[in-house]
Amino acid sequence: MDLNYSPEDVAYRKQVRTWLEQNVPSSPPRTLEERKVWHRKLYEGGFLGMGWPKEYGGQGARPMEQAIVADEMARAAAPAPTNGLGLGIVGPTIVVHGNEWQKKRFLQKILTAEEMWCQLYSEPNSGSDLASLKTSAEDKGDHFMVNGQKIWTSGGKVADWGLLLARTDPKVPKHKGITCFLMSMRQPGVEVRPLKQITGSAEFCEVFMTNARVEKENQIGKLGEGWAIANTTLGYERGGRSLARISGYAAQYHRLVGAAKKLTRNGRPLMESPTVRQRLGKIWADLEVERYNALRVLTQLEKGEHPGAGGSLTKLSYSEFEKRFMEVAQEILGPYGQLTDGAPAELALEIDTAVGEMGTWAYGFLWSRAGTIYAGSSEIQKNVIGERILGLPKESRADRGGAR
Amino acid sequence: MNFSFSDDQVLLKNSARALLDEHCKPEHVRAMMDDKTGYGEPLWGEMAKLGWLGLPFPEQYGGAGLGLVELALIHEEMGRAAYPGPFLASVVLGGFPILLGGSAAQKEKWLPAIASGRARLSAALQEDRLDCDPAGVTTTAARAGDGWALTGVKRFVPWAHVADALLVPARGPEGLSLFLVDPKGAGAALKPVTGMDLTTRWSELRLDGARVGADALVGEAGGGGAILESTLRRAAVCASAEMLGAARRSLDMAVGYAKVREQFGQLIGTFQAIRHKCAEMLMEVENSHSAVYYAAWALEAGAEDAAVAASICKSYVSESARKVCGEAIQVHGGIGFTWEYDLHLYFKRAKSLEVQFGDAEYHRELIARHVSSAS
Repeated sequence: MDLNYSPEDVAYRKQVRTWLEQNVPSSPPRTLEERKVWHRKLYEGGFLGMGWPKEYGGQGARPMEQAIVADEMARAAAPAPTNGLGLGIVGPTIVVHGNEWQKKRFLQKILTAEEMWCQLYSEPNSGSDLASLKTSAEDKGDHFMVNGQKIWTSGGKVADWGLLLARTDPKVPKHKGITCFLMSMRQPGVEVRPLKQITGSAEFCEVFMTNARVEKENQIGKLGEGWAIANTTLGYERGGRSLARISGYAAQYHRLVGAAKKLTRNGRPLMESPTVRQRLGKIWADLEVERYNALRVLTQLEKGEHPGAGGSLTKLSYSEFEKRFMEVAQEILGPYGQLTDGAPAELALEIDTAVGEMGTWAYGFLWSRAGTIYAGSSEIQKNVIGERILGLPKESRADRGGAR
Repeated sequence: MNFSFSDDQVLLKNSARALLDEHCKPEHVRAMMDDKTGYGEPLWGEMAKLGWLGLPFPEQYGGAGLGLVELALIHEEMGRAAYPGPFLASVVLGGFPILLGGSAAQKEKWLPAIASGRARLSAALQEDRLDCDPAGVTTTAARAGDGWALTGVKRFVPWAHVADALLVPARGPEGLSLFLVDPKGAGAALKPVTGMDLTTRWSELRLDGARVGADALVGEAGGGGAILESTLRRAAVCASAEMLGAARRSLDMAVGYAKVREQFGQLIGTFQAIRHKCAEMLMEVENSHSAVYYAAWALEAGAEDAAVAASICKSYVSESARKVCGEAIQVHGGIGFTWEYDLHLYFKRAKSLEVQFGDAEYHRELIARHVSSAS
């Protein structure tokens, strides 16, 4: 056990920090075009697709180097690159499951943000029970014809392509009849409608597919393998960004302590109140425990081990933590925490929301409700932990009849 | 960066598990709960032979020269077995102050004696107030001849009834100092108290002008605070490791039970009410593991955040272990509430450690001080 960073890692961190100091734009990019400019700068700096093979435009970097870059970006409050799902989910899926032609055709353009991506998984009636999805892809000889509706599609508005899960065989048990496709979003059969969330902004969309077309060459993996592929891609959403996430929380936490020194109640600063100190002390302990967890995950990744179901523990822990953190922030800030506009500078928070506008404490609080729902709700994670780590017996489920 | 155990550390953990599985079964724990001294000499001797009792001491003093991560591993296994005995008291509370602040003569006298199991030590860290902040010590040390006369009352002194010497913090003209006191000596009186965890023994120590020689002073006169704080941090982490072991044992028992117990014609582990509870318990246990071994490493390596890491560890694990051990009883239902079933051994062990070396509230205040100056 040695939790010091190696001299190489320390040197690399310094190099990244220097690059960021010289290149982070002084005013955050607001429009998609401005974000793409920043995105390309990051790409040219060698900070995107870090874990992808070099022959497809990646860097072939170690997990630790990826974590350091993400962490330094969080510390420098550098804007995130655009095309997050392309970088985070679609690219890694193509790297692992795509064929040579698909890798050459798609990967580079994800890295340069020439082609923007979204993920077409969830449906109105298939949330936690994703495998029950109904969108169909019918084999028409030279192509597949897609019909159905997707929901919770991040970045659907700007996407050129979508990573699609669709049912290709309705006769076999539900987990076996799903196939994974790359579908062009720029076609008449695809309609995208923004979906306004409780934050008031619309990061998500609904996508309606009516006789939409998917070329045969854009099928990922074999027919009926889509569920297995989706399960590995859900894993990509966890792990690599772990350290950066914690540094983001830490920056917000220090803002909160600053606010607690300024705000007063009963004639004295909140930071002098024992109950506030207890709450803040507990949150810092929880936050640091999440950082230690991230270091454990990084250790595994560095050894070439996949966290597997352990990723469910990490996700459950940090997403539940984020809710507790944001609740405490609201308790401390009182009505100031609810301001979406007009907060005094020393009480305001500026966080990146990935839709071009800056977030507030109010936004962070509302957004914290998403983490325990997306990418497998906390309840789903607990089922996975119970069955796959603790080996508890599976519950009898109505949909498993004949499927196994 | 490597947050995993080395082969040697895994070996040590396995050998600790093997020894305690054989010699510290629940029957042994229960026998010691009824025993007057509360621990068994044969197992104590085995632990000395394996080098556990001198684990963190340099080899020149009969120690194994290992670090806090290894010490935490042993403590986790002891918590898992609900080991009854003065291990933490002697090695950590007794050993570290002498190791960190003692004179050459004190080290030569006491460290080999602790390591060989010949001597048992402990420390009197608590007084009437509930916290263990060195700043609040009221026991006094007055100059008397060559030495000192100590007066005050110490509470909840672990394993004092079997200790050959106690480390006693007392306030003198130079400030807070640490003294080695013979609990059976003149002017000192021990009164055992009984807590609900019978695998831990506490006594009240009354010092009424108890005389100690000049050679009883550990460290400089007035220099006790720093030694005490360092020792408390190590004790907090080792106690957390024990709580972690108790929690993991409780979780294992709950999961094992959920796999065999049937109600409504099904294994109760199929019910999400049970499964989700077990998943939450595992999350708490793994988070506690992170907290314990991060803090152990940080203290050993002298990391910048070592002090706050110890407070994070103790505050987190204190609540988490209580929750996990308690939920294990809930998963078991009625049988978990019986004296005959072993769950209460771990539940009570965790509960007793929760209030020692600073409870969650005490450590959260230390964390708040840290972040307030850092933000």
